[in-house]
Amino acid sequence: MHPSAGVSVRVLAPPTWRSAATWSQVARLGHYRDLLSTLSRHRINVRYKQSKLGALWAVLQPFTMMLVFTAVFARLVHVPSEGVPYALFAYAGLLPWTCFSSAVSNSTNSLVGHAQLVTKVFFPREILPLSYVIAAGVDLAIGAAVLVGLAIYYSVPLTAELWFVVPIVAVLGGYALACGLVLSAVQVRFRDVGVALPIALQLLMFASPVLYPLRVVPAQWRTLYLLNPLAGLIDGFRRSVLGMPVDGQALLVGAAVTMVALPLAYVAFKYADVTVADVI
Amino acid sequence: MTELEVTNVSKRYWLPKPIGSAVEPGGWARRAWSRVWPSYDAFWALRNVSFTVARGEAVGVIGPNGAGKSTLLKLLSEITAPTTGEIRLHGRLSALIEVGSGFHPELTGRENVFLSGSILGMRRAEIVAKLDQIIAFAGIGDFIDAPVKWYSSGMYVRLGFAIAAHLDPQILLVDEALAVGDEAFQRKCYERIAALRSAGKTIIFISHDLLSVERLCDRVILMQQGRIALDGPPSQVVAAYRRAVAAGAMFGDSAGQADRGVSVTGIRFCGRRGDVEIRTGFPFNVRVSYLASRPIDDVVIEVWYTTHGGAVLQCEQTTARSSDGLDLPAGAGGVEFCCEALGLQPGAYAVVARILARNGTLLHVFAAGSALIVEPGQASRGQFYMPYTWRRARRPAAIESARFAQESPDGLKV
Repeated sequence: MHPSAGVSVRVLAPPTWRSAATWSQVARLGHYRDLLSTLSRHRINVRYKQSKLGALWAVLQPFTMMLVFTAVFARLVHVPSEGVPYALFAYAGLLPWTCFSSAVSNSTNSLVGHAQLVTKVFFPREILPLSYVIAAGVDLAIGAAVLVGLAIYYSVPLTAELWFVVPIVAVLGGYALACGLVLSAVQVRFRDVGVALPIALQLLMFASPVLYPLRVVPAQWRTLYLLNPLAGLIDGFRRSVLGMPVDGQALLVGAAVTMVALPLAYVAFKYADVTVADVI
Repeated sequence: MTELEVTNVSKRYWLPKPIGSAVEPGGWARRAWSRVWPSYDAFWALRNVSFTVARGEAVGVIGPNGAGKSTLLKLLSEITAPTTGEIRLHGRLSALIEVGSGFHPELTGRENVFLSGSILGMRRAEIVAKLDQIIAFAGIGDFIDAPVKWYSSGMYVRLGFAIAAHLDPQILLVDEALAVGDEAFQRKCYERIAALRSAGKTIIFISHDLLSVERLCDRVILMQQGRIALDGPPSQVVAAYRRAVAAGAMFGDSAGQADRGVSVTGIRFCGRRGDVEIRTGFPFNVRVSYLASRPIDDVVIEVWYTTHGGAVLQCEQTTARSSDGLDLPAGAGGVEFCCEALGLQPGAYAVVARILARNGTLLHVFAAGSALIVEPGQASRGQFYMPYTWRRARRPAAIESARFAQESPDGLKV
C-alpha cells in the first residue's frame, strides 16, 4: 500500500469550471477556519486601533444617519413609518443596511487591498471577503445595542417574531458575501468597480425599504421590487425587531435569490481566484 | 517515493503591447477603443516543464533572471495556476517566499505572529503552543508588544523568519528572497534549512547563491528561458551554469564562437607533486590544452579565476614574464601555469581560459567544466593567503619597514 495513502494528493491544474464547482473547495475552507477567525478579529481590531472612540463608531454611523433621515423624512416630508416612531423605524432599517453596505464595499476591495498577500502566499482567497462580511456582522451586533435602547425608550413589546432576526441576518450575510465575491474578483481586473460601487450602493439604498416601509411600494412594481433580496430582508429585520408580523412572501423571495446567487458567486470566484495573482 | 510531480507545465502571461511605439492606425474611435481594451502579447514564462521530486530530496533550482524560477515557485506554492499541465503534491507544502508576509503595521508583534502564522497555514492551537519559542527565536525583547510599524527592518525580518522557521511542512519551498539580512541571520536561515533537511523534509530551494545550492541540495535543476536546461547532481549542474555565465557574460559568448583556427580543449588543475587535492598555500599548477587547426602566431593564453558570483580574483597570462606572443604550431599542445603557493582561500571557484591574438581579438573562450575546489591548507585569515615568515626585529621598526618597502617590488609573491 502506498505510504501516503490517506494523505490527500493536491492537483494543481489550469482552472476549469468543473474544478471550481467541487465540494473540496468548501471543505478546504474548513482547514483554514483559524485563519478566518484571526483575520475577522483582525478587521475589528485594526479598524479601531488608533481611533479614540473605537467600537463606538459601529454605533455612531447608523445613529447619525438615523438622526439626519429622521429630520428630513419625518419632520419635512412625513414618510409613513407603520405606526412606530420614525427614529426607531429608520434605525431598524439603517442597521441591516449599514451592515450590508459596509460588508459589500469592504469585501469588494479585499483582494486588491491585499495584493501583497495574494501574490506572496497561498490561502483560500474567499477568506478575505468573508472576513469583512463577518466583521460587518459584529458591527451589526454592536449597533443593535442602540436599537435595544431605543426599543426600551419607545417601549416596544418583545414578541416571538424576534427569532426571525437570526435567519434574516444569516441570509443577509450570505447575500452580501455573494455580492462581495463577484465584485472583488471583477475589481481585480477592472478597478472601475471600486469607483462605481459607492454610487451603486447609494442607489440601492433608495431601492430598498430602508427609509420607507415595503408596504408603500405600488402593487404592480412589487414583484420586481422583491427580486432585490434586500427588500424582504431589511423589511423583515425591522418588522421582527419591532414586534410586527413579518412578510413571509417577501422574505422567501429574498432567501431564494440568495440561495441561488451565493453558490454561483462562489464558483465564479473560485474560477477567477486561481489566476488572480497574475493580474492583480 | 514521489513527493511532487510536475508534468508538462507551461505558464503564459499576457503583457500589454508597448503603447506609442508607432502611430496607431484608424480614427479617434479606434484609438479610444485600444485604450480601453489594449492588445496583449503572450509571454511564456514556463514551457513544458516536467520533473519529479522524491520524498526527502533537496532540489535546488538555479538559472539566470527571467528563466522562470519565480514562476515555478508561484505555481508550486499555488499562488497561481499553470496554463497547461499539472502539478501533484503529496504532502503539506509551505512556501517561504518572503519573510513577514501578512504583517499588519498597526498590530503588535504578538498579534502579527497569529496573523502571519495563520496565513502561512498554521493552526491557532499550533501557534499558541509555539508562541514562546517563536518570540524567543526572534529575540526582539519587549518590542513584541509594540506595533510592527515601529520596528526596525532588522526586527521585522527576525520576527518574520522566527514564524517561518516554526512551520512544520512536509515540503518546503525556499526562495532566495529569504536570504536577506545580516550574515548572522543568513546563517540562521541556512542552519534551519539544513535541520529541516536532515529531518527528512523535502526541500525545493530556489537561489542565485550557487555555493549554498551546492552545499544544501542533492540535485539541481538549471532553468533557462522557461525550460529545464539541465537536471542532475549539484556539482555538474552548478559547474555547467558557472561555465555558461562566466563564458557568456564576462568573456564573450562561447556558444556562438566562430572557428578562428585555435581553441582551448581543456583545463586541468593539480596540486603538489600531481596531488589531486588543491590546498591553500601549497603548489598549484593549471594546464591549458589547445588545438590549433593551422599554425597561428603571436597569441596570448590567459586563465581567469572568479568567484561563483562572477567577481574576478586573478588572471594568469603567458605575457607575464615577457610581452612576447606565443607562436603555436598546428596540432594539439598545452601550456602550464605554475604557482608555488596558491593564494586562494578554501572554496569553489570558476575558471575560464581564453586565447587571444596579441591585438586583443578573442580567439576562443573555454570555461572549466568543474569548479576549482580549494581545500584548507596553510591556515590564513582574510581574503587570500600570503606567504610570509617572521622573526624578532633587532633594529628599530621604522628602519626595518623602510628597507622592506625598497625590497617589495619583487619581494612579494601572491
